[in-house]
Amino acid sequence: MTFASDPNGMRAARFRIAGIYEPTPDPMRFTAARMEARMHLPDVIALTADPRDPAAAEAVDAINIRFVDPADRAAFQSDLRARAPGLAATPTARAPEHDPFAVLDRFHVAISVVTVLGGTAFLLALMIIRAEERREMIGLLRLIGISRRSLLAAVLLEGFFIAVIGAIVGIAIALAGERMVNMIFQRRYDTALVFVRVTPSVALRSVAVAVPLGIAAGAAASWSVLRRGILSLIHR
Amino acid sequence: MTSFALAWRTAACYRMRSLLAMAGVAIIGALLFDMLLLSRGLVESFADLLNSSGFDVRVVAQEGLPVLRAPIGEAGRLASDLRRLPEVDDVTLVRIEQAVLTGATGETTRVSIIGSTRSSVRSAWTLLKGSDLPDAATPSADPCPLIVGRHLAEARAIAPGATLTIRISATRQPTALPAVACRVLGIGDFAFGNATEFAVATTMSALAAADTMRPGDEADLVLVRSRSQAGGRAAARAIARVRPDLHAYSNEEIVAEFNQNGFAYFRQVSIVLSSVTLVFTFLLVGTLLTVSTNQRLGQIAALRALGIGRLRIAAMLPWESTVLVGAGALLALPLGGLLAWRLDRLLREMPGLPERLHFFVFNSGAVVEHALLLAATAVVAAGYPIWLASRLPIADTLRREVVG
Repeated sequence: MTFASDPNGMRAARFRIAGIYEPTPDPMRFTAARMEARMHLPDVIALTADPRDPAAAEAVDAINIRFVDPADRAAFQSDLRARAPGLAATPTARAPEHDPFAVLDRFHVAISVVTVLGGTAFLLALMIIRAEERREMIGLLRLIGISRRSLLAAVLLEGFFIAVIGAIVGIAIALAGERMVNMIFQRRYDTALVFVRVTPSVALRSVAVAVPLGIAAGAAASWSVLRRGILSLIHR
Repeated sequence: MTSFALAWRTAACYRMRSLLAMAGVAIIGALLFDMLLLSRGLVESFADLLNSSGFDVRVVAQEGLPVLRAPIGEAGRLASDLRRLPEVDDVTLVRIEQAVLTGATGETTRVSIIGSTRSSVRSAWTLLKGSDLPDAATPSADPCPLIVGRHLAEARAIAPGATLTIRISATRQPTALPAVACRVLGIGDFAFGNATEFAVATTMSALAAADTMRPGDEADLVLVRSRSQAGGRAAARAIARVRPDLHAYSNEEIVAEFNQNGFAYFRQVSIVLSSVTLVFTFLLVGTLLTVSTNQRLGQIAALRALGIGRLRIAAMLPWESTVLVGAGALLALPLGGLLAWRLDRLLREMPGLPERLHFFVFNSGAVVEHALLLAATAVVAAGYPIWLASRLPIADTLRREVVG
């Protein structure tokens, strides 16, 4: 393969392809078509250095440094500034305030909160219909001596089971969605980047939100029926 | 009694459930509205930002956007050549450097310094205080006049008339350039500035004099204003003809490129979430109507027995769906506006974004789209309950629901 750093094709050099590699997935560049090749540093310098500039053969864009003791970083940065004006030492890890993914994370949390709020309103409406449907049955149970507390406990238990089953079905849908979204976007952008990942912590968080909400919605809706008098429940 | 009146009475009779259903539709509808705003907002906002500069073609040295740092040599001659083109109305050269500002006590602040051949490149900055830069054609006694960005002025308590010591950072050069004393003429708000970046602007000649490491006649970007009868695309093509070694992009091309690549994430998030919210609304309204219809089978059979026709009963359910979804959709608009404002603030915390860029931009098209999508959802969600109600056997149902 022939490479030239000059647009006119001057100073070209021929290289033998040693292998094909998958570029490290980069979420900041996944939409860009990455036309990349890797070669040894002396080959890059020989290909790109300006022959009129004697210092060009010694020039690099960046030097990666690993400290024996990471605590020496600040001292090194200050030392470098004093000894080599124009050079700057910056950490390779991105500070949280400069991380766009931290902002996206907050955006996704906000969207989730809104979705949960909407879902809760609908759930309450459904539970109210369900409680109304069972009004007469609750009246009969009260008539044969079952206490309000026992009925409320039964409602809470039912809400718990429904919420747990709902959460499990939700996680199953999310897992199926994860595969589908990743497959579509990985094909679309020709990348190995993982776009959606349903981690155990995400699944647990969903269950932790869904179960108490389900129980609370069931209890709130049933209470409107349970608090009524027995005669009112059986239409007498 | 009309179908609408029947639906209205049902909604009024079961007030709590109707209110909760409306609240649910309002919240989900607000999210849908926001996703519709997001699908176009960023692109529209970016296009506004580009167009507000008053230049509709950008010329850079390398292909691909955003590329600003590849220098364009002999920029003065290039500007003269471009001005002679019949499609071109005006040309401005822009050069951007990194610099260090040294305070009175020796503390340093990194700033971006923008040099341009024209004062107040229309809306590249909005002057807040003081006076603007002198025009390139006007001789000035001031060797280094400055417009200081609002954030820097606030952080360092800089006012017009102050003198700042600035040293250009010689990138990739093991050397330090001498510091230059610059006088602050005004405080400005930079159109492309972001909240975390400190920026100042000066004249091209002052920047060239301060940066002796680069040839004086070099620019990073050339801004071109096309003649109105030619347009940006024609001007870009004309520039490409005379200077095939450079790359000229009209604002429309830049917006299209960013829409395709740079903003793809938000467009896709918007498509996915809009679809999910619609499916969610359909499922929930559909379930609510189905459960509610099942609960009222006796009532419906009684109405049929009283002589109210099958069609009128069937028409009552889409009306009921329309009342719930319609009221929710109306509430969704102000709620969505409020949510969009909050989400926009949240997303604009993303580092490196121009402060004037918005993710959610109101447009009437989104309101119409929102209304149409929710109306279609309301009609589709009523489908199964209509089928249930219209096939109801009157006698059997009355026996089961009333006698039984």
